[in-house]
Amino acid sequence: MKPAKKLMKEELGQFVDHLSKEYLVYGPVARRSDFSFQEIDSAEDLRFDYTTTTIPPKKFFHHRQTLLRYSGEDYSELESTLEKRFLLLGVHSCDLNAILRHDRLFTRQFHDPYYLKLRRNSAIVALICTHIGNSCFCASLGTGPTIREGFDLLLTDLGNEYLIEVGSSEGQRMIEELNLQKANSSDLEKKEERVKLALTQFVKSMKMDGLNQLALKYLDHEVWSLIGEKGGLAGCFACLSCGNCSLVCPTCYCFEVADIPELSLNQGVRIRELDSCQLLEYAEVALGGNFRRDRKARVRQWMTCKFGGAGGGFDSSCVGCGRCINACPSHIDITEVAKSLRGE
Amino acid sequence: MENPYIPRKAVITNIEDETYDTKTFTFEFKDCQKGIEFKPGQFVMLSIFGYGEAAISIASDMDDPSHLELTVRKVGDVTGALFSLKEGDQVGIRGPYGNSWPVSDAEGKQLLLVIGGCGCGTLRPVILYHRNNPKKFKSMEVLYGARTPGDIIYKKYHEEEWSKIPNTRILLSVDRVPENTYWKHEVGVVTTLFEDIKTNPEEALVFICGPEIMMKYSVIGLLKLGFNPDRIFCSMERRMRCGLGLCGHCQLGSKYVCKDGPIFSYTELKHLPDHIVRSD
Repeated sequence: MKPAKKLMKEELGQFVDHLSKEYLVYGPVARRSDFSFQEIDSAEDLRFDYTTTTIPPKKFFHHRQTLLRYSGEDYSELESTLEKRFLLLGVHSCDLNAILRHDRLFTRQFHDPYYLKLRRNSAIVALICTHIGNSCFCASLGTGPTIREGFDLLLTDLGNEYLIEVGSSEGQRMIEELNLQKANSSDLEKKEERVKLALTQFVKSMKMDGLNQLALKYLDHEVWSLIGEKGGLAGCFACLSCGNCSLVCPTCYCFEVADIPELSLNQGVRIRELDSCQLLEYAEVALGGNFRRDRKARVRQWMTCKFGGAGGGFDSSCVGCGRCINACPSHIDITEVAKSLRGE
Repeated sequence: MENPYIPRKAVITNIEDETYDTKTFTFEFKDCQKGIEFKPGQFVMLSIFGYGEAAISIASDMDDPSHLELTVRKVGDVTGALFSLKEGDQVGIRGPYGNSWPVSDAEGKQLLLVIGGCGCGTLRPVILYHRNNPKKFKSMEVLYGARTPGDIIYKKYHEEEWSKIPNTRILLSVDRVPENTYWKHEVGVVTTLFEDIKTNPEEALVFICGPEIMMKYSVIGLLKLGFNPDRIFCSMERRMRCGLGLCGHCQLGSKYVCKDGPIFSYTELKHLPDHIVRSD
């Protein structure tokens, strides 16, 4: 590990300008009522005090991609164009863990070239999260707020300055030309204090051990009908099958594949885009069959997946970002589902 | 890096009518590589551009990988589009994917195949393997049920060729026989044939393919007769978008049908959610 450095807060603008020479820089900015990763023109727009963005950074890697182009009965792979590298600035631990899980998911049996191309074209400057949201529970899952791997650089807000730790040779190159002050042991201690302080802010928690087995074992548990049909778990209403939870979940990865013809109908593209197991059409089969027609079965599928019991295993499991809790119009809370399954 | 989403170009070289809604298509690949090596029970993703992709079980003879045969029932967009194509037309094919029928475990043992509707396609490679190597299995018994005599696929082969393979019995049954239709076999759902099973449950392996409701009642009947749930295998079908263990659509609990299946032992299947084969 290269020695840590320090960046004074008033130098953040220069730092972002410096990064912008090499990268298209995206970072958290405030919008009307939420935060969002957007292209950064000026460091003034950056909101490093953000809790969480509504849409996770998966939108940069896995959202909607063109798989191939066809014309008549012929088809070809899209030619690879060299694009400017992009950098995600200010990624929190929950989202970084989700990205690392997707890295594994998309390289399991088959390597997914579309995901990997975007991923390899990106760099990550992570940020220790010190503004814990009311729905956050990463601390209980071991996915935050500290960060140990997966970043090129890691920033921690120490008050007047940012501590910068280096996680890769690319990260080292990002700061090489900057004349940054070396961090000392008291700065590293300050970081630990910040993390400790953050840990005291958590309202929610979830005990993950064994939840995957419980979800697969108790297929007829009352909790599935509570969240899927009746409502009433910790004041929630029944699921509306809107799919918000999948859209905002940083580890939800399921996708639909479709051919999109041009008006001539002779040519077009095959695309893939994010899908959700909460939507009725997801489990449709030929001749009108559907093996998860009941909402109860669909919410069970989603929760089982987030507990690590579905086909994605650990790599699509929950990282504790709390987004699904914030986004659910029926106020379904995954931590309450876990408690109920455990009989707590 | 090879792109697993890009199919190979294949040309239709023959189309055979099986029933009013089912045809067997033969394909040859345009690239210079030799045909397609596969194991019985595996499937391919068939592309008709502008319509999409569909998972189809391989029905070919695995000893002859030079061409690929798919027996397809017209049930949706892609299969509907395939039916409008003619010999010489080109499609995209990628695969094979999935696990396979445990054929080598069945060597030296009795093998019972229970087939419903057009589920025969995925078991045809097993029957052809037996035809090519008639000493590998101690015996093969095929129980095949369809709705009407007009729904039986490979009918000529069942009656005239495969029933003549040594140590082979083929029993056919249909749910009903329309008026003025000649039918010399059994009438009733496929489980009607169970009374006549000669295969010894003690050592036999059973391969089942058909609609889930048919597999469910077949399993119930077979368990009653003393067949071992570890040695009863079912082929599951789901609408797959990728076939690569990624898109998520074919998940049953912690399993992907495309990657961990499509063949599951009943012992494994009965613990998985979201299907109706489970009989308890």
